[in-house]
Amino acid sequence: MRLLTIGAATIGLLLPALPASADPVESGPWTSYSPTFTVQERGCGDVSDLTFTLSCSDDSGDQRAERRYATYSSGTRQFEGYFKITSLEGSRISLKQTFKTTGAYFMLAVERGGRLYAVNGGSTIATGATVGTTVRVNTVHVVGSTHRTYINGSLKHTTSSQSGDFYDKFGAYRTGSGEGPATVQWSDIRFWRK
Amino acid sequence: MRALMMVVLLMVAACSAPTQHVPIRLSAELVSPTDITLRWQGRDPAAAGHVIEFATEPQGRYTILGFLPPEQTTYTHPDLIPRTAFYYRLRPYYGAASAPVDVTLGGGPYPEPAAGWSQPRTLSGTPEGTRPAGRAGAAPASLSATVTRADGIAFRWADTTGDEEGFLLENRPAGRPDFRVVAALDPDVNAFGLVTLPEEGRAAYRVRAVRYGPPSNVVHRTTGGDPLPDVPKEETP
Repeated sequence: MRLLTIGAATIGLLLPALPASADPVESGPWTSYSPTFTVQERGCGDVSDLTFTLSCSDDSGDQRAERRYATYSSGTRQFEGYFKITSLEGSRISLKQTFKTTGAYFMLAVERGGRLYAVNGGSTIATGATVGTTVRVNTVHVVGSTHRTYINGSLKHTTSSQSGDFYDKFGAYRTGSGEGPATVQWSDIRFWRK
Repeated sequence: MRALMMVVLLMVAACSAPTQHVPIRLSAELVSPTDITLRWQGRDPAAAGHVIEFATEPQGRYTILGFLPPEQTTYTHPDLIPRTAFYYRLRPYYGAASAPVDVTLGGGPYPEPAAGWSQPRTLSGTPEGTRPAGRAGAAPASLSATVTRADGIAFRWADTTGDEEGFLLENRPAGRPDFRVVAALDPDVNAFGLVTLPEEGRAAYRVRAVRYGPPSNVVHRTTGGDPLPDVPKEETP
C-alpha cells in the first residue's frame, strides 16, 4: 500500500550536530558550531538517525525525510557532510538544500545514475554519486554575496546570494519532478562560521 | 624440520591475504593553484584495479574519488578548494569477476516488481561463501539479470567468498571498451536492483567480490588560489 501524504510530522528533537573536530576548508579563521535541528518526515519519508528513506514511488505530494537546521542571517557558513545513496529506484531526489526562508534557494539533487544537479537551473554539478559510494559535500555560503558547492573537494557550483534568512537541510526530498523510492545515509555532519 | 615449517607458514600466509608484490609509490604535483595531478609507479599484477582517495586532514576521513583500471597511472583532481591541504593515497583491490551477462532493455510491459527489488540485500536461504576473496577463481557465481521495468534490472548471484569487503557491480555499455563500476555493495549482499541510464539500453554486467590491499604512501599538497570573496556585495533592489 502506498502511503499518502500525512501532513507535517515534524519531530522537535532539537539536538545539536556532532562535535566539530575536523578542519574546515577554504581560508579561515573558522569557528565550529552546532546548530540545532528538527526532523521532518512527511508522506512516505522516514528518518532513522542519519538514514533518510522515501519508501514510495509517488510522483506528487510532499515526500520528505530531512533534517532542518537553525536559521542564520549573516556571516559566512560552512557545511560539511558525507552522503551515500544505498538505493535509488526513483530519480530527482534532493539531498541537500541551503534554503532561504522566503523560498528555495540552492538545492543539490540526484538523478538516476548518480548525476548531481542544481534544481534551480538544472545544471549538472557532478557525476559519480554511484550507489554505495560515499560523496563528500562542502558548501560555503557568504550571506549577501555567494554560495559555493564543493563535491569531493572540487568546486562544482557557484551562485550569488542575496541577504536574508537561510538554513541548511539535508536528507531525501522529492523534487517537483521527482519520485522515490530512495535511501540515503549521511554521516560526519559539521558546521563552521566566520 | 624448522625449515619445512617455515615454508609451510610462508605458503599459508601467501594464501590468506592479497599481497602487494610491488609497493606503489604515489606522487603529487600542484599543476595549477587549484589542480593536483597524481602519478604512481608500481603495480601488483594480481590487482583488479585501484581506488584513489583524498582527505583534507592527514588522518582522513578518506573519500574515494574513483575506481581506476589497473593500467591507469595518473589522475588529476581538478578545481580544488583554494588554500586547503589535500592528502591522497591509492589502494589496490583484488577479486575475480563473475562471468558477464548481457542485458537488453526495452519491450515490456513488465509486471509490477516486488517492493524493495532495488535494495541491496542478502536473500534468505542462500548459502554463505567460504572461499577467500581476492584469489583467482573466487568469483561470484550464477549471476542472473531480470529486467523489471523499461530501465530497471534485478541482479542475483551466489556469494562464493567468505571474507569479501564488498561487491562491485560493473557494466560495459554497448560500444564502450571497458567495464566500469556502477554500484558498490556491502559484504554478503547477493541481490540488488539497478536503474539504468539511457546509454545502458544494451550492456554487459558482472559482479566482483573484492578485498582491498594496503594503502600506498600518503602524499599531500596545499592549494593556492586567490582568497575567495566573503565580503557581502551591495545588493541590487
